[in-house]
Amino acid sequence: MLGLAFAISASLTVNPLTLSVLGALSMLFVLAFRDQSPWSRSVVFYIRLAGIVIAIRLLFRIIFNLESDPANPLLVLPEVNLGLGDLVTMHLFGSISAESLQAALTDGLRLAAIILAIGMANSLANPMKLLKTTPGALYEIATAISIAINLAPQLIASLNRVRRARGLRGQSKGIKALPGLVIPVLEDTIDQSMTLAASMSARGFGRKGTQSKARLTLTRFTGLAGLVLIAVGAFLLILSPTNQVLDLSITVAGLLSTVIYIKMSALGSLRTRYLVQKFRTGDYAIYLIAALLLALAFSGVLNF
Amino acid sequence: MITLKDLSFSYLKPNGEPVTETPQLHRVNLHIAKGEFVLVCGPTGSGKSTLLKALNGLAPSFTGGQLTGAIYIDGEDLTGKEPHDFAHLVGYVNQQPEGFFVTDTVIDEIVYGSEQLGMPVKDIATRIKPIVSVLKIEHLLERPLSSLSGGEQQRVAIASALVAGQKVLLLDEPTSALDLAGAVEVLKVLKNLVKDFGITILLAEHRISRVIAEVDSVLVVHGDGSVTKGEPTKQFNDDRFAPPIIQLGVKLGWNPLAISAEEAAELWTTKNHSFEPKEVSPAGEPIVSAKNLSVNYGSLTAVAPTDLDFFGNQITAIMGENGSGKTSLCWAIQGLGNRSSGSVLLNGSDTAELAKATRLDQVAMIPQRAADLLFLHSLGEELHESDVFAEVAEGTTAALFQKLAGRIDPSIHPRDLSAGQQLAAVLSIQLAKQAKVLILDEPTRGLDYSAKRALAKALQQLKSPDRAILLATHDIEFIAEVSDRVIRLESGKVVSDASPLTELAWPSPFASQIAQITRTPELISIGQVIK
Amino acid sequence: MNSLISKLSIAIAGVASLLMFSWPLFITSNISTEATTAQTVFILLMPLTLVIVLIEFATGDISSKHLALLGVLIALNAVIRLLGAGTAGIETAFFLVILGAYVFGSGFGFILGAGSIFVSALLTGGIGPWLPFQMMGAALIGLGAGLIPHATKKWLVKLNLIVYAVIASFTYGALMTLWNWPYLAGTGTQISYVAGAPIIDNLTRFLKYEIITGGLVWDTGRAITTSLLILLTGSALIATLSRAATRAGVGRKL
Repeated sequence: MLGLAFAISASLTVNPLTLSVLGALSMLFVLAFRDQSPWSRSVVFYIRLAGIVIAIRLLFRIIFNLESDPANPLLVLPEVNLGLGDLVTMHLFGSISAESLQAALTDGLRLAAIILAIGMANSLANPMKLLKTTPGALYEIATAISIAINLAPQLIASLNRVRRARGLRGQSKGIKALPGLVIPVLEDTIDQSMTLAASMSARGFGRKGTQSKARLTLTRFTGLAGLVLIAVGAFLLILSPTNQVLDLSITVAGLLSTVIYIKMSALGSLRTRYLVQKFRTGDYAIYLIAALLLALAFSGVLNF
Repeated sequence: MITLKDLSFSYLKPNGEPVTETPQLHRVNLHIAKGEFVLVCGPTGSGKSTLLKALNGLAPSFTGGQLTGAIYIDGEDLTGKEPHDFAHLVGYVNQQPEGFFVTDTVIDEIVYGSEQLGMPVKDIATRIKPIVSVLKIEHLLERPLSSLSGGEQQRVAIASALVAGQKVLLLDEPTSALDLAGAVEVLKVLKNLVKDFGITILLAEHRISRVIAEVDSVLVVHGDGSVTKGEPTKQFNDDRFAPPIIQLGVKLGWNPLAISAEEAAELWTTKNHSFEPKEVSPAGEPIVSAKNLSVNYGSLTAVAPTDLDFFGNQITAIMGENGSGKTSLCWAIQGLGNRSSGSVLLNGSDTAELAKATRLDQVAMIPQRAADLLFLHSLGEELHESDVFAEVAEGTTAALFQKLAGRIDPSIHPRDLSAGQQLAAVLSIQLAKQAKVLILDEPTRGLDYSAKRALAKALQQLKSPDRAILLATHDIEFIAEVSDRVIRLESGKVVSDASPLTELAWPSPFASQIAQITRTPELISIGQVIK
Repeated sequence: MNSLISKLSIAIAGVASLLMFSWPLFITSNISTEATTAQTVFILLMPLTLVIVLIEFATGDISSKHLALLGVLIALNAVIRLLGAGTAGIETAFFLVILGAYVFGSGFGFILGAGSIFVSALLTGGIGPWLPFQMMGAALIGLGAGLIPHATKKWLVKLNLIVYAVIASFTYGALMTLWNWPYLAGTGTQISYVAGAPIIDNLTRFLKYEIITGGLVWDTGRAITTSLLILLTGSALIATLSRAATRAGVGRKL
């Protein structure tokens, strides 16, 4: 949660100094609070990632230079023009101003701060716990997302392994070599994910509740009604904005039936939850800090 | 508890035809009683896994293929049902617990199944206690799964397969990824599950000697579609999957077979069998020499400074536990790997400094996961690509492959080959250019006894005076079978360099199983025994 | 019956979300505060619409295999996107969405699109009011890609996909700029939005805005990178994914 607040604050900030401070703060938090869980070890990965991102940002800025004629060029490189039609040209390299580089650096720093913040969130909180707080109706989507988040570091690891192994066999040069790298990794990851899916199914994932057909249809209709109301409300807002009270009340009705729909779809599953997350006092403190930080970020104070 | 009626299963090609002429399982009729502890055996690829998966719906749901016949479990007709319809009756545990975990802490994992089945929270709480106490994991409940040892992970997997009150437990080679201690931990708890909860267990397992005394019956999946069930001592007449102790008994015609080491030792001495001496090839010319070679990762020493020569005409085994530095040594010799000091000379030039293409021609290495080197869509394409890349005559690689693995339909997808066939494919690709040095890192992983024998034969064929073969493995039986020289690593240090006839023979602490049973010096592999 | 409702819901959701993207073109009021109200409301409505469709596609019917495959593709997309995110039209997120949707169908494509954007936003920090709009945009691209007919000839498959990729890239770019155009362009210039003006008039202004701000360059970049990636990796990825689909016994599914 705090990580999220940090991340959002960082994305709203353009001052490089503040960004560095935010990044450093994230790391301090990690050092102060981390425990022995595997997540806490992932922080190294995020630090590395943050470094890579800054470097890539700067590099791209130099290659895909968007400026045409900077006032005070810092770096002058030969310009390569890619004509893509009469209206559009894409410049590669060319002169680059200090401002532009600073902008890229700030941009990179911001991303890095965000990554560190996410890293912090990942190291301290455990993304799996987030799953437990999603509404029941979105359980499946949340599962897919959590599978994705878990697979991402594994993907990077197996990419490294396969790249090393590929060095042992003769390979085509350049772009043709791409499938040789991607296919084994993808095959591997798909195999892994299928094992996981098999495990979920073998333990009962996908069982349907004993909801009656009529209930199901009713649920579906509520969703449909919500959508229709939303659509009509939106339409009215656009076409006859003079009577906003009516438009808004239709939209609110749509909103309500949508919420009911979400609740009803959740009732359809028979899943139970054994451990429900409980709030500890420390959590409140964290929420408070997070809120404060967000308020600061939104008011723009951090930019000065 | 489980009744199968005329159960048949075939894998299908995309066009709907069966992949093989004989189905994986053909008209299997079987009855397993409540509380029965059944060991499932058979060669790799015979359909052991398929049979277990059919019993909880994973086949055909996750494997593809076609299932006919009927399955009854605890009186319920579950024919054609999805895995989640089996979930309240059947728990399933596979080889690699960490790939099978859905959550990340022990307690979450244990309750996952019950949650999915909608068990009331109160019932879950009362079910957990007795199960975790039998499995001896009470103290682990709050721990993250990834911090557990393999054996602990596997016991958690068993608990999570049983908490919802399942009556049948299927275990598909649950110890194959574990070290010996972990495996013993897991197998020990199984009989308590039968005793305390009356759970029916089907266990596919290759560490047969550890459990054979505990099981009620043995199911053999023969590979031709048939499945037979019977008493433990009467089921082993097929040595493709049998452990060395059974192989020995079969070869010598013991009846009944010995299933414990003590019985076998007694039979060996009383029956007065004979054996022939093991042929060990003498060293040829030195092909590749490492001087002062070391590998460090930060402050960690993977390989301590060492001088080693590898000779032609010989298969040199590099033996050691996991983490003893075998893999680092292999990569350092190959030339691509990290080196902290030293050189490795091949024909007078250092392998690390060879041009990329030259190194590929001269040094062939098979990494731990051979399949990483396969990336095209058919075996034929892979073999053809290899010819083109190595600039050898069309069909060279294919001919080599056929010599190593026999004739195989080239249109098959490389990932659908068995582990042994994949290895043969990678071997022939890597050797298309007649490399001087061949390095294999853990090649026997995932191979059954018959595939290992095929690999041993292939390696003997590849021996030549101008080629050095290096083999890094902890598989002592395999080393006893093929090697001419054994180098043993312990935490990165070379602690011995000797002939297998001294290193692996009785009474060495690293004696092979045959050497331990027979207690006969110079007898280390089953191939030496005379019928 | 239920599948009919499902299809109807999705169609309505599609129309509603298109309205929310393109409202500046249709709005008849010329009072800017009312336009503001409209946009504020849409920022609230878009995530809800998204959620309804996601539930419509996901709840109950989706198998663990689909979820796992979704996880793989979303993770791959996020990892790839992390490297090229937001750099002058280098857009790597869409080719996988299109290929995945082509193999596994519209519903899968919809979730894949939304999920990819969501996870990469988590990783790159692009979280904000625009996120649901981007998610919906990418989701609709996936939805559409799932409807591309399966051809037997390899070149035809590639052609279909590339044509679709080009159209989708430009449409996505236009929609993304359109919904917040009135705010970013301010008022009073040649390229600003004029509330209440005729559609054609505003459309011309919008086109100018796109050209001048380089929006079209981005779109072109997106179209080129997506097409190029499809051209290069398309056959290999489709083959691998189709194999996974056959093996797991999952096909195209709405």
